[in-house]
Amino acid sequence: MSKFRELDPLLHSQLRLAVMSLLIGVDSAEFVFIKEKTGATAGNLSVQLDKLSTAGYISVVKSFKGKKPVTSCSITKVGIKAFEDYVNNLKQYIE
Amino acid sequence: MSEKELSKDESLMLISDMITQAKRNLARGGSFYFLLWGWVVLFANLGHYIISKYALYPYPYVVWALTIPAAIASMWYGARKSKYAQVKSHLDSVYGLVWLGVMISVLIILFFLGKVSYNTNAIILTFAGLGTFISGCMLRFNPLIMGGVALWVASVVAFNLPPMDQYLVGAVGILAGYLIPGYLLKKVEGEQV
Repeated sequence: MSKFRELDPLLHSQLRLAVMSLLIGVDSAEFVFIKEKTGATAGNLSVQLDKLSTAGYISVVKSFKGKKPVTSCSITKVGIKAFEDYVNNLKQYIE
Repeated sequence: MSEKELSKDESLMLISDMITQAKRNLARGGSFYFLLWGWVVLFANLGHYIISKYALYPYPYVVWALTIPAAIASMWYGARKSKYAQVKSHLDSVYGLVWLGVMISVLIILFFLGKVSYNTNAIILTFAGLGTFISGCMLRFNPLIMGGVALWVASVVAFNLPPMDQYLVGAVGILAGYLIPGYLLKKVEGEQV
């Protein structure tokens, strides 16, 4: 039997993993920041943020800065645990 | 960036790259505070010394009133920076809290001027050194760490001098501890944009 555990399919995708890696080190980040850092299109990023949010890995808050609508994302405790498990499982493959 | 599946190596590289990207945006704009307070405190120290030494005016401490608009400018800048920040980090919050702590400590010392035998400058230099040293460690910016050490050295020198000469030591300490590292930090921030 293989000792390797399956990598979380939700995180084992380029854009979703990039989002989680960005959010792991900060309290919160705005949509435009994540879009700029990942180089993703707005449409694709929205879909992937939705998937992460539905899984409970991130929380998405919509608010206003003056008259400008702003979407902020932050990683949840469930998300931190999933990210840590993902990195630990990844280590097994490397070791 | 697409939704494609990754190899294990690609995953690790992506995680490391994104963490670095997020880090680059942390605690920026810190040079503003060092330069603002550096110039204000340098000017006030020298002003107080010159006015007292040459008896130009009976109330030399009036120059310290400059710190009031500086405090307002700092609060305005901090609020504006926080409002427009696209990313908020725990490091940013702690950075601000360290300096709030320094400010409260300084206010307590100023309140008990007489009880510390008017060695206020020497004590304030100790706290300024602490804040600068911690800021340097948080930003991993060696000139600020050295600046903190320079302020501590200035504080040791100041404790061995009469209160009046402490203003001169304070000015030199602020130049070495705030202004020089502040300009070096500004240069690095400019390169990051």
